[in-house]
This record gives sequence, C-alpha cells and structure tokens, in this order.
Amino acid sequence: MSLLDFSSDVFIAAFFLYSGSFMLFTIAIMGRKWSGRKPEEHTARWGRIAFIASSLGLLCHMAYFFTRWAGAGHIPVSNMYEFMTFLSMMVMVAFTVMFAIYRKILLGLFAVPISIIIMAYAAVFPQEVQPLIPSLKSIYLNIHVTLAALGESFFAVGFAAGLMYLLRTVNFTSKEKNDRKQQRLVEFTLFSIIVIIAFLGSVFAFRGAGYESIFVRENVTIDSPGQEDSTIERVSYKMPPIVAPYHSEIESFQPFLGMKKPLFEAPSWMNGVNAGRKFNTVIWSLLSGLILYGLIRLIIRKPLGAALHPAMDGIDADDLDEITYRAIAIGFPIFTLGALIFAMIWAQVAWGRFWGWDPKEVWALVTWLFYSAYLHLRLARGWQGRKSAWLAVLGFLVVMFTLIGVNLVIAGLHSYAGTD
Amino acid sequence: MSGRTPLITNTKCECGHQNPVGTVLCEACGKPLDETGNSSENLEMRYDGVARRSQRSNPNVIDLVWNFFSSVKIAIYLIVLTLLGSMLGTIFPQESTFLNIDASTYYKEQYGTAGHIYYKLGLSHTYESWWFVLLLVMIGASLVICSLDRVLPLYKALTRQKIRKHRQFLTRQKVVLVTEMGEEPEEWVGRISQPLKKRGYRVITEGGALLAEKHRFSRWGPYVIHIGLIIFLLAVLARGLPGLNMDQHLAFPQGEVTPIPDTTFYLKNEKFTVEFYTEAEMPEEFRGKKVLPKLYETKAVLYECIADCGDPTRTPQLKEVAAHDIQVNSPLSYNGLKAYQFDYDLTPVLRSVQPELKNKVTGEAYGKFKLEMKNPQRSFEAGPYTLTLKEKYMDFGLNESGQPVSKTPYPNAPAFLFLIKGPGLPADGQQYFYFPKQVDKVQFQQEGINDKLGGADRFLELEVSSMQDVDFSESTAYLNVRVDRAMPFVWIGAGIVMLGLVLGFYWQHRRIWLTVQNGELILGGHTNKNWFGFRREIVSILEKVDMVVDEKSLDNGGGQA
Amino acid sequence: MGKARKPVQIVILLLVVLLGGYAIATSVFGGDGKPKEGSKAPAFELLGLDGKAHTLDEYKGKAVVLNFWGSWCAPCVKEMPALQAQWEKWKDQGVVVVGVNVGEDQMTVENFVKMVNINFPIVMDPGRDAVRSYGISPMPTTFFINKKGKVDSIHIGQLDLDTLDSQIGKLVGP
Repeated sequence: MSLLDFSSDVFIAAFFLYSGSFMLFTIAIMGRKWSGRKPEEHTARWGRIAFIASSLGLLCHMAYFFTRWAGAGHIPVSNMYEFMTFLSMMVMVAFTVMFAIYRKILLGLFAVPISIIIMAYAAVFPQEVQPLIPSLKSIYLNIHVTLAALGESFFAVGFAAGLMYLLRTVNFTSKEKNDRKQQRLVEFTLFSIIVIIAFLGSVFAFRGAGYESIFVRENVTIDSPGQEDSTIERVSYKMPPIVAPYHSEIESFQPFLGMKKPLFEAPSWMNGVNAGRKFNTVIWSLLSGLILYGLIRLIIRKPLGAALHPAMDGIDADDLDEITYRAIAIGFPIFTLGALIFAMIWAQVAWGRFWGWDPKEVWALVTWLFYSAYLHLRLARGWQGRKSAWLAVLGFLVVMFTLIGVNLVIAGLHSYAGTD
Repeated sequence: MSGRTPLITNTKCECGHQNPVGTVLCEACGKPLDETGNSSENLEMRYDGVARRSQRSNPNVIDLVWNFFSSVKIAIYLIVLTLLGSMLGTIFPQESTFLNIDASTYYKEQYGTAGHIYYKLGLSHTYESWWFVLLLVMIGASLVICSLDRVLPLYKALTRQKIRKHRQFLTRQKVVLVTEMGEEPEEWVGRISQPLKKRGYRVITEGGALLAEKHRFSRWGPYVIHIGLIIFLLAVLARGLPGLNMDQHLAFPQGEVTPIPDTTFYLKNEKFTVEFYTEAEMPEEFRGKKVLPKLYETKAVLYECIADCGDPTRTPQLKEVAAHDIQVNSPLSYNGLKAYQFDYDLTPVLRSVQPELKNKVTGEAYGKFKLEMKNPQRSFEAGPYTLTLKEKYMDFGLNESGQPVSKTPYPNAPAFLFLIKGPGLPADGQQYFYFPKQVDKVQFQQEGINDKLGGADRFLELEVSSMQDVDFSESTAYLNVRVDRAMPFVWIGAGIVMLGLVLGFYWQHRRIWLTVQNGELILGGHTNKNWFGFRREIVSILEKVDMVVDEKSLDNGGGQA
Repeated sequence: MGKARKPVQIVILLLVVLLGGYAIATSVFGGDGKPKEGSKAPAFELLGLDGKAHTLDEYKGKAVVLNFWGSWCAPCVKEMPALQAQWEKWKDQGVVVVGVNVGEDQMTVENFVKMVNINFPIVMDPGRDAVRSYGISPMPTTFFINKKGKVDSIHIGQLDLDTLDSQIGKLVGP
C-alpha cells in the first residue's frame, strides 16, 4: 500500500471518528435527562469518551496530513481539497486547545460538526496530488497557509461558542418584538448551516448517481473589423440543470424526475459559462436546504433554535461569552502573523510587492479589520454578551467568504487549481 | 463618550486627593467618583478610571479636533468605513490589474451598466482614491492620538498605585470575595504572600492591606501594536518618496548585457529555462489535458558600471557584482536592488550570422564575415571581393507605394542590401539582396530579386554553411526590477505589531487587592482578560492558605472582559 | 500633563495634516510620473547623428520641438517633410527641432535621414531612456517645449504643417 493510499484511508477513518465523536457529544448532552442517571456524571463520562474519540480522529487526521506530505513531496495545502482538509484539521486543533482550557463538553457539540462539514466540503474538490507550480514552491507556502488556517480555526471556535451563547440566552418563549427578532436571526443562522449541509448532500447524492448534463456555447469575439474569432465552451453540470448557462445549447441531457430540459436560462449578466452552473448549484442547495429544514421542522415541531435551547442548560452564559472572546483573542495574533504578515513577506519574495490589493489580500484585510473592530468594541466600548456573540457569528461569515467566496466569485491571483 | 455621566467639577475625593477632570475612580484610593449612591454595579476599570488627556472642562478648537481623534468610537467608525470601502474595491477588478486598457470604456464593455457606474463612482481605483487614502490617514491620526491620550495617564496610574483601596473599589470589582477572618491581619497577609509570589505576582503589603500584581507589561500590548502600525503606515508612505522606490518590467534577451535604466547596473541573462511537468509527474486525471509549469529560471549576472557610465559616446566599463539563478520565489538581490522572474518569451531573436561568399558556378568559397543585426559593420572583405552594406531592414516589407521598408524595429525578417565590387563584376559594383532567414529567402524570393539586380549571369551567392555560424538569443526573460528602500521599515513596523499582539493577547495583567480589617477579609481582583483562568488561580492560591472557595462564587457578575 | 501639552497637540495635528496631505496628494495626483503640459521637460543625454552627445540643456533659451520617431513608423515618415519645412522656417527665430530616434541603430537612422532628406538635429535613444522619462507609448509623439524648459503642449500622432506652424508660433509668440 502506498503512502498516499494509506493517507486517504486514515483520512476516512478520521472522518468517521469525528462523526462518532459528534454523536457521543450529543449523547453526553442530550442524554442527561434520561431516567436513572445523574446528569453531571453522565455528561462527564460520555463527554470524556467523546473527547477521546475526537482526539483519535485528530491523530488520524494528522497521520493523513503527514503521510500525504511525505507521499506528495510537498506540504498538502496547495489546492482547494488539501486546504479544506487542512482547515478542518486546524478547527479540531483549535477546539482541542479551547477544550483543554475550559473543559466544556458542550463546545464539542458545536465545534466538531464545523470540522466535519469542512471535511465534507473538501471532498467536493478533486483529490489528486498535483505537482506544485513554480509560484507555490516556497517555504512561505507552509508558513503562510498553515498559520492563516490556524488563526481562522480559532475564529471558527469563536463562532461556535458565539452561536451557543445566542442559543443559551435568546428568550425562545417570549413574544416580545426584540426577542422575536433575535429568534428569527438565530433561526436564519441555523437555516444557513442546514443549506450548506444540504448542498453537500446534493453534491454527493448526484455524484453517487453519476449525473451529468452538458451544455455548449459558442462565443464570438470580434478582434478587428471583419475578423471574427469563435470559441466553443463546454460546461458539464453534475446536478440536474434547473437553469442553463446564458445563450447555450444542450449537448447532452440526462432527464431527472421527468425534467427533460432546463426550466430557464441564466440572466445575461451572468455571462461566464460557469456562472450558470454555479447559479444552478445555488438553486439546488437552497431547494434541498428548504426541504431538509422543512423535514426537521416536521419532526421536531418547533423552531430549531427553540429545540436546541434546552441543550444549553447547565452552561454558564458568561463562560460562553468568555470562550468566544478568548478563542478570537488567541486566533487574532496568529491570523495577523499568518494571513497578513507572512502573506506580505511571501508576496514580496515572489512578486516583489508586499501588497497589491488583490481580492484575496483585500479580504484578509477585511477579516482583520472586522476582528479589530470586534476587539475595540469589546475592550473599549464594553460590547459584551449578545452583541459580541453576533459579531463572532458574522465574523466567521467574513472568514468563510475570504476563504471560499473570493475564489468562487472573484478571480484573482489566488485562484487555486480545481476551484469550482 | 456616550453613557458617561457629565463631567463633574468637584473632583476632590474624600481621601483628600485632588483628581483631574474626567476621573472615574479616585487616583489614590480608587473610590468611584461619579456616583453618590451605594451602587453595586461593577466598576469601569478601563484605563484604571483615570482621566484621559483630552478630557477638559473648556475645550477649544484644537481640543475638539484632538478629542475627535482620541475617541475610540470614532476609531471604530474609521475601521468599519475602511472595511466597507475595501470590500467595494473587490466587486470588479481594479484598473491597476490591467496593463493596457482604456478604463473609460473597458468597464462598460465588460460589465455593462453596473461596470460603468462602478467606473463613474471612481471605484475602479478605490485604493488610490482620495477618500480611501484619507480614511487611512485618519486611522493613522487616530492611532497616534488615541494612544497618547491614554497611555500616559495609564502609565502614571499604574506606577503610583496605592495599596490600601476604598472598600467600594474592592467590592465592585468583577472578582470579589468578602468573608470573615479571625486571624491577625498582618500575619494572614504575610501568609498569603507566599503562594502569590510563587504564582509570579509582585506583592506589596501595607499593614493588613496587600496588592499583588503580575504581567503589567501586557497592558502596553495595545499601544505597542499601535506604534507598530504607525511605523508601518509611515514606511508605506515613505515608499512613494523619490529615489526610494523603483519598479520596472524589463526584457532581457538571452546572452545580452542589458542596461537597467536609471541605475548604473547592467544585467545579463545567461540562460533562461522553462520546464514543464512530464506526463509521468502528473496525476492520471490531468494527463493529456493540462500542462503545468515546473520551473522558470533565469541565470542572471549583475554588472555595475565603474567608468564611462552614462556617456553615450563611449562604451561603459562593467564589473560583475552578483550572480543568481532567478526563480519565481528567489529573486536576485544586490544592495537593495532586486530582480524578480516575471514573464518570458521563447521566440528566438536573431543576433548575427556569418555568411560565406561563394561562386555558385565553380563552387569556390571566398571567405566568411560576421554580419550583426544591430550596428553592423559597413563593409566587409571576402577574398578579392569587397561588400559594402547599403541598406538594412530589420523587419522587411513593402509600403503602400511598393518601396522596401522595415515594419518594426525588431529583427523578425532582416534583410540587407550589399554593393559587391571585385573581379568579374561591373566597375561600379553589383547589388545583392540578402535575407539571412531561410523562410524570408523563400517568401520574398531572394533569387528573383538578385536576378533582377545583377542579371541572370550573376555568379556570387551569400550562404550560411552551418548552424554554428548563426547566433541568436533563444529566448527573452522579462524581469521585474525593483528598489524599495523603505521595506525594512515596513517589516520593522509589522514586527512591532506582532510583538504587541503577543504581549497583549497571550498575557494578562492581573491584580489582587486584599484588605483584612475588623475581622473581615475583602478581596478584589482585576484582570484585563481571561476571568475564567484568573478565578481559578485565585481559588488555588486561597487553597494554599486553607481556604476553600467555589470558583463561581468569586464571580461578581456582569462586568468587563 | 504640564505646560507642554498644547504645543505637543499642535505639533502632532500639524504632522497629521502635512503627512496626510502628502499621502493624499501623491496617491491622487502623483500617478505615473510622466511629464504633462506645464511640467518641466525631463533632461536627457543622447548620442547625436553627428557623433556628439546632446542634452536638453544645450537648447536652453530656445523653444524646442522634440519629435520621437522610428523609421518603421509610417506616420513618422509622413510628417518628416513638415518638420523639415518648419525647421527651415523657424531656426533663425530661436526654435530648434530635435528628432529622437527610438531604438534603432546608427545605420538605419543615417539611411533614413538621407532618404527623407532632413537636416535638423537627430539624436538616438537605443536604450529607450528618453522614451521612458517622457512616457511615450504610441509614435510619433511630439513635445513642444518653451524657452523656460516647460512642456507647452504634447501632440500624439501625425503632425501636419498647419498645426505644427501654429504650435511653434505659440511657443515663440509673446
């Protein structure tokens, strides 16, 4: 068995250990009220088992990382798949650190699934080991990417704790206007997470079923008067096309549930041939997200927030507030060093300019400014509790846009191979 | 700042200390000054309750401007505005990402009306626009003034701490313990000093009162960060000063010593290499579909001119000063001058040929001569023949009126017109057209032209016998040559920022005040972050003197982080 | 904070205004460093066809018509007779026409000058130094420099006799 095969095997093992650990954390928290148990003892015992499982998972994850490094000959953070698997590993590292400090079992219930979701998202991208292009051949690839990911992972844990704070403190029974608003915002946050899960679910379901439809489009560009240049672009849909690319022809179409042709065409401003496909993916994610959300609501018969609220009993809101802040405070210097300072050093060595207002650079700065504002608001303006928790949640959204959104929506120097 | 009670005029504390306007907690004993009642809320411990410099009772214009920039609220607005402005700049690519576009039409063509509006709003050059730079300048001002306004009073407050504090100061901290105490005050205070010292606290006692403090340097973290940021911003500004910055993209044909304009340096590209990954090195899925570059490398030698520089009538004298194999992540660097691999062009460029003059009838060869494409010799000797160069075209073509011209200054299709004199030729010589490149010979029908010029019975021909007689530059490397004298200061600034971040975020300033009097122990504790760890530490310290306290019971609720 | 407080405040605010003003000015107006109308014409030192080095300073006190050209550039070739005519007309009135050949070798330049029959001073810029400092992109480009060494106007593209005449008239005029 080659190193790389071993690597992908332990990666799968890590995935299952995390999933198991998540279930154990769930039992530790939800099982408190089972009859014939002392709640504290139950949580402590099952929590310990869950943490052992997650730690074993992290060990496997690290084994994946280092064997892939050895097998590929370069640090596996050079494409979207590798970066996302690395990020999920760093989220587990950050979780383990915060857990070691605060020993709050509940944290596992929220931090571990973040890592699982990121791992699953990694699997959307091509997994082959690719050789490094010249611009990535640098020691700064190792330093810049790993430190940035570690800093962002602490922000992820801050997000988890912030969301927990909101679930703990928002009054889910009140009918008062402000409470209703908070309830709706929490519900929307949870719904967004459901949409991401649904997106992953539909990607893997259609991939498993081997679905493919292909569109072609002829692009005519007029270079100089009288001289036309036409190129043919092909785009392959891995999900049934609800929306076709703008101005395109069907090359092959696999019917789905009686749908024999796209329902409509992308608007003209989505002129890139891939824009239509991305739009289609968004529609599918929203649709399946709505269905999944509806199903969950049917089963539990109350809003998600209200259903999760009782799980937060027994944890102190102030502690959650502090964990949120602490995670961000630990992550902020690491993020600054990795995502800004080493990014500048690398840019200086590779391109001769330490800062060039490339979209990825700008968004790293936006993330940094956001958390700077968070820290100032908290330290000098006394924003704590509710407001601070919302900022932690919003901040992670900025982080995710920087990592993924910029690559998907805005092209720039950082476009990794295989990003789509 | 909002939420503050209005500045009060009577600032004398009951302990007799005269406090400056704006003081929240008495500088000496710590008694809250802004309230009269027996409020039990947590105290406002920011900057230890001292007055900031800017708080005065009768502000004038300068004070008002100063106050504006010294406000953290304004600083946060500035941060948020900069954040939003930066975001706007990423909606469409910035003008600076393109080398040659006409921005006024490009955005409209490429992105439609939205693009046109984007351009009209000036967002296509967001980061160079006056408002964005103004925001950065204001952030810089805010960094300086905010820090100055707080750091000096805070420094004074922390260096002049009183040990015995007002009861209200202690009981309104976020960590509070009030409990009965039977022991002799001084003895007990002496006893608890030991575990405190063991934990790294500096302990000062005064009778039955104690102050334990550690990691005060952590309080300077934010100010160190701000100093670093100011140095960083100033360094960025200094980059624009004339002479400190140079940025050129230059072509370096292989094998030629090329001057670097505005410097005394010359750079020779000895060999440019581009390599691609072989099929075997690629993952199976990519084979035959993708080509991935493996290496771009320019073997470069840097020369410095030591004499006859900048004199166009003389050839400069050069001395080798540095040599480096420039790769993408490995620039050549010499005394602040850096050359980065930027681009390449694999089109070969002809430099010279050594044709041989032959008699095509007898096959007799008269000799070779070297014909340079640039600045060629004007006349050549080949055996008994003399060739005078009359005309030269770098990129041969015909203009509208059918006359031979050069279409570009680059030797794409060089052509030479000679006048040959010697035995067997007319006295005033015979004209001969020569195309060194075989393709051009065929395309422009060298034979036909020469037959017309010299008649059908001409017998001389210029021919290149082997590839050794052809000299060309195989490729051209494009290097980005830069000088950036302010860079060290950029890194110093960034380093100071990091230092401040580590100081401020990975250590916490912790203080514990204790008073034992009238059979009662009053403990108040303050840290600038990580209350959780602080409470745990106090519990374990109290354990050492056989006091069992629940961690949670120390928490006085609410309060500051 | 004693008596030094006010001066400290004033000094800091002044520094902010100065440095800030400089920052905004350089980013908004600084731009590319190319000479514009009204700015000082950049100096150069180039080899002339006469074998001597020539500088802009030589022509101090004269109005200079600085024409950037190449033998391969058709509009440059076409405007040569107009330049020659204006050179003959104005050379006794303190006007000098200088042709800057861009990137070609001496032989090409000599042949060209003979062919189009011009005799105003020609300098050669094989390293494109003047091209860079004058920020030339398309050719021909002509700079009209007044007697004080300031750029009066810039003409991009082929010149005809009338424009040339009126531009030079403006340079020399009162």
